[in-house]
Amino acid sequence: MIIAVIPAFNEGKRVAQVVADARKFADRVLVVDDGSTDNTGAVSQEAGATVIRHVQNAGPGAATMTGIEAARRMGATVLITLDADGQHDPRDIPLLLKPIEENRADIVFANRFGRRNRIPFIRRLFNGIGNVLTLLAAGKWVSDSQCGFKVFGSKSLAEVDLRMNGFEFCTEIVREAAQRRWRIAQVPSKVIYSEYTMAKGQSFANGVKTALKILLRSFLR
Amino acid sequence: MRLTPYQIVTPLVALLAVVYAWNLVLRRKKSVLEAILWTLFWGALALVALRPTIVSYLSALTGIENQESAAIVTFVGILFFLVFYLIIRVEELEQRQAKLIRHLALREAGLEKEKRD
Repeated sequence: MIIAVIPAFNEGKRVAQVVADARKFADRVLVVDDGSTDNTGAVSQEAGATVIRHVQNAGPGAATMTGIEAARRMGATVLITLDADGQHDPRDIPLLLKPIEENRADIVFANRFGRRNRIPFIRRLFNGIGNVLTLLAAGKWVSDSQCGFKVFGSKSLAEVDLRMNGFEFCTEIVREAAQRRWRIAQVPSKVIYSEYTMAKGQSFANGVKTALKILLRSFLR
Repeated sequence: MRLTPYQIVTPLVALLAVVYAWNLVLRRKKSVLEAILWTLFWGALALVALRPTIVSYLSALTGIENQESAAIVTFVGILFFLVFYLIIRVEELEQRQAKLIRHLALREAGLEKEKRD
């Protein structure tokens, strides 16, 4: 069973469309409402998703892990993670599923830089820094390590255990992939940056905080 | 060259730590960069233990020439370590909180794990 997991925090305006699009490619769609104060949970449910609600905002890493845990218990064999802000195109899901179906990979990372996407310079810069930090912390180069669009095959789905609550979880997934020797595939994907997604994105201060956390955890582990 | 017990034990401990770090790399639990950092750290400790005169070069390099300055730098180092330790403790508490939130969310969704006997 293919389950799509969408961690969402105050995404009431966007999440319904993401759920509707994801339902075309997944058997079930699971929205983890990460303590939203708007109607994210209600609109997700109306759009056909199963909603799991955090009583308090715990961060995107924690919400993703809740989705993974729930999907395991629901009997998922393949898991897709998507951002709730609509920046990913769910029509890319079949492309990302292909390496798993052909048994060429245990985890598939979408690569927003592998296609001719209009990505603002500041985003390219932040992602580049994220990639370098991920290489230092995980010892593995992934072209778009900070992207939320991924597919987990049965092996990675059974083994993944995220402990980081914030945006550092993307780096942690690469680290898990390296440590547990998952076969990695990277697939170019479309990205749609709007004013909304830009405004919702990580601030510079958040980026610095995330970078420090990654390095600190990596060194002291 | 006569070695003091300290000069024997410190390099041995450093060697063990370095072997352990690279063992973790082989088991894919540490990255190569982390192991290099640990090797440099323990290597420096072992070197200072074996060749204490090296500290005088360090003194020329850092400008720390008297005991008072050395004590202040040591305390700043200890404070840095305490801040790092507190950050890690706060992170652990955040992780516990997240686990609790997850447990509640899954229970509310009827996805609670079956209780073990």
